[in-house]
Amino acid sequence: MTSYIIRRLITFVPLLLAITFVAFMVFQLAPGNYFDTLRMNPQISEETISQYESRYHLDKSPIVQYGYWLRNLLRLDLGYSFATMSPVTEVIKKRLFNTFILSLSAMLFTWLIAIPLGIFCAVHQNRVSDRFFSALSFVGLSIPNFFFALVLLYLASLTGLLPLGGMRATDYESLSALGRAWDLLRHLLIPTIVIGTSSLAGLQRIMRGNMLEVLRAQYITTARAKGLPEHRVIYIHALRNAVNPIITVFGYSLSGLLSGAALTEIITGWPGLGSVMLQAVRSQDLFLVMGSMLMGGVLLMGGNLVADILLAWSDPRIQY
Amino acid sequence: MRLRRTKREKKGTGCFFKKKSSLSPFLLLAIVAFCPLSSFAEDYRPKIGAYGGELILSTTSDPKSFNPILAKETSTTAITGLIFEGLTRTNGITTEVEPNLASSWEVDDTGKVWTFHLRSDVQWFDGQPFTADDVVFTFNELIYNPHIPNSARDIFTIEGRIFKVEKVDDFTVKFTLPLKFAPFLRSMGQEILPRHILQRQVLEGRFNSTWTLDAPPDEIIGTGPFKLVKYLSGERLVLQRNPRYWRKDKQANSLPYLQKLIYLIVQSQDTALLKFQEGELDYYGLRGSDYPILKPQETGGDFTVYETGPAFGTNFLVFNQNRGYDEKAGKAYVQPEKLRWFTNKNFRQAVAHCIDKGALIDIVMKGLGSAQHSAMSPGAGFFYNYNVKRYEYNLERAKGLLREAGFLDRDKDGIIEDEEGNDIEFSLFTNSGNTQRVQIANIIRKDLEQVGFKVHFMQLEFNNLVTKLNSSYDWDAVILGLTGSIEPHFGNNVWQSSGQLHMWYPKQEAPATSWERQIDGIFNRAVQQLDRQQRKKLYDEWQAIVAENVPFIYTVLPNSLFAVRNKFGNLHPTSYGGAFHNLEEIFIK
Repeated sequence: MTSYIIRRLITFVPLLLAITFVAFMVFQLAPGNYFDTLRMNPQISEETISQYESRYHLDKSPIVQYGYWLRNLLRLDLGYSFATMSPVTEVIKKRLFNTFILSLSAMLFTWLIAIPLGIFCAVHQNRVSDRFFSALSFVGLSIPNFFFALVLLYLASLTGLLPLGGMRATDYESLSALGRAWDLLRHLLIPTIVIGTSSLAGLQRIMRGNMLEVLRAQYITTARAKGLPEHRVIYIHALRNAVNPIITVFGYSLSGLLSGAALTEIITGWPGLGSVMLQAVRSQDLFLVMGSMLMGGVLLMGGNLVADILLAWSDPRIQY
Repeated sequence: MRLRRTKREKKGTGCFFKKKSSLSPFLLLAIVAFCPLSSFAEDYRPKIGAYGGELILSTTSDPKSFNPILAKETSTTAITGLIFEGLTRTNGITTEVEPNLASSWEVDDTGKVWTFHLRSDVQWFDGQPFTADDVVFTFNELIYNPHIPNSARDIFTIEGRIFKVEKVDDFTVKFTLPLKFAPFLRSMGQEILPRHILQRQVLEGRFNSTWTLDAPPDEIIGTGPFKLVKYLSGERLVLQRNPRYWRKDKQANSLPYLQKLIYLIVQSQDTALLKFQEGELDYYGLRGSDYPILKPQETGGDFTVYETGPAFGTNFLVFNQNRGYDEKAGKAYVQPEKLRWFTNKNFRQAVAHCIDKGALIDIVMKGLGSAQHSAMSPGAGFFYNYNVKRYEYNLERAKGLLREAGFLDRDKDGIIEDEEGNDIEFSLFTNSGNTQRVQIANIIRKDLEQVGFKVHFMQLEFNNLVTKLNSSYDWDAVILGLTGSIEPHFGNNVWQSSGQLHMWYPKQEAPATSWERQIDGIFNRAVQQLDRQQRKKLYDEWQAIVAENVPFIYTVLPNSLFAVRNKFGNLHPTSYGGAFHNLEEIFIK
């Protein structure tokens, strides 16, 4: 197992190189660069702009630029974000925690509801309750996030029960530790529901499908035939066998933990990474985008590795 | 002046009038003419206010930096403008230049040597006195420092030569300009930075990373009415009253009255609207579509919706008149037959007659917009020329003009041809992401097709469009906007034929047409002309030439609309300054 993990970790290096190289080149395909916006300002001269460009080697060919980027990366320097005029690591660091708690709470929301719901629907296949919950999760899937967020905010403004977006109340600093946690929780609720419901349906359907397949297997019939209580049949025999694809999905979703959800963040005013990255892509803030790509890449590979390890742990048939 | 990519812009206008389509253009003209800007000054007499309270505003994006030399975007200047001050400032009501950190100034007979007398009662946030050394430092060691990339340098450089800035005594500074420069006093609004704080950073080469967003707020030292106390990325900025601020009210109470200013960072306009309706925000900048929602709530919500007339800036359609030859591709930038159409004055005037400004205002701006005829916004005040040629919406007139120039539908297929039988067919671009502009483009396209043009409309990503306009020049027609200014010279780079923003044919070595040569001459003469009336005459002539030759075919401008809670005293919204140009005098009733 250890040697397997080490082998996997070694393959990360060429994979990461490939990911960043492709990302860098694709990004360069878009015409222009960040400083084009300055170019449209009549009070800024061409010389000033070329001064900026040569400072960050943007006047070189993409391959050379990638070389510079890679060299800085080896020195653990992710570069400079043009738009925020500060190092990329600073920009990411500032939003990392915010993004993490929102993603985590949304993930918990999704998983804690989707898995039991999937099992329930499989067990009660084609009955009214199954249809009802399936319909509900499809509604969650179909409503665009930004619209759902607006609806929830509107409801919040009607009832006055929840804050209208943001992450902390204006008087946050004056609150007690408990008060702060409560305040944060209240602000978290709307974005959590919005992001959570959008992936609920998919996960619930996967869980339901797997369960149904397993429940039809002969060993389940055997288990029932030998008189095991129904809850043991479902939760011990069926669930253990149906959970493998879910673990793989879990590994993938780990990579989303830090990528943020731009549209929901923008509407609900959550200061996460998603909106920063969306803005970075739109304004061609090259190094910030690359920083986010790198982070996403690492998390995706790490998530897959975690999933594979978990699979080996949960399913004795899998060995490396 | 810079290219606009969004529809939300700084407020601006001439007077409080609302364009109704029932008013005849003549009547409108009269209203505008009898509503001089200076009358506002008499209306406004600041009352003595009460101390305390807070004002909660919102902004759509984080500032980029707290360093006013390094960053000049509006999201940044909205904050740094409160923390730092310049020697002069522009009065938010009269739009005249008025004393700020300098109490007076004089200019010698050559018009090139300016002497500024500084106020002696100004202190930095840390109690150090503000002196001539700070001014000299800001110019000589920051703005003119080759290691500090900044755009202020381009403003304070004339024909490649920089200004000489010298200290005369502790409170006197002398500026020697290489040439006469009419907008000099207005550009002296440039923020002055403290030498005693920043000298070390400059010597150690760290200035470029000084006062970034990560800087501790109490290290950011200015002279302005407010100082930064807290910044939470993506959440909010908190500014607090500067107790050392030098400006006093009539009873010698020190300003400002407000204790706190809070900027919530709210990226979504819809969320900001909800927050305003809930009372979380004291100010909200309206889109046209918000007007019917907010207007009826005025009494219940205890706020007032202000409409201060057309926004600053310009919206226009422009045709590519680039006569250049692309060496790399081995062909002309613009196909020869297209170039013949686009450089034809009749053709452009005909297109100008196809712009249904009334429909654009009614459909796109929900009736809350103003037609634009001149190269300046009517909000620009003094230099705006009311008497330029106007192009009413008249498709028959357009067809007539085209016929005169030899464009008509010879083969009766519904599309007009030029004399050589080429169909008049071109593509029309605008930047995606600006819904208002896209709607405008769609309406204009429909009218152009009625006249018999074949138009391919396409939305491009902003940077892509900029590349086309700036370097590849492969475009036919574009609908765009430029932000405006009350100072026409700041559009120099757009109007000079050698300018990089001279969009229809940038960076010309010699003016391609006689009218472009005329405009070049006007701009060169006007910048040297220190007499305001003489300058106005020149710029009037420029606007008349532009209206006659229509290189930019102007469309419509949205009106500035905003809602403010009724609890504020001394509130006096204006076209130029918006709601809070006199922020230090505003108090809570």
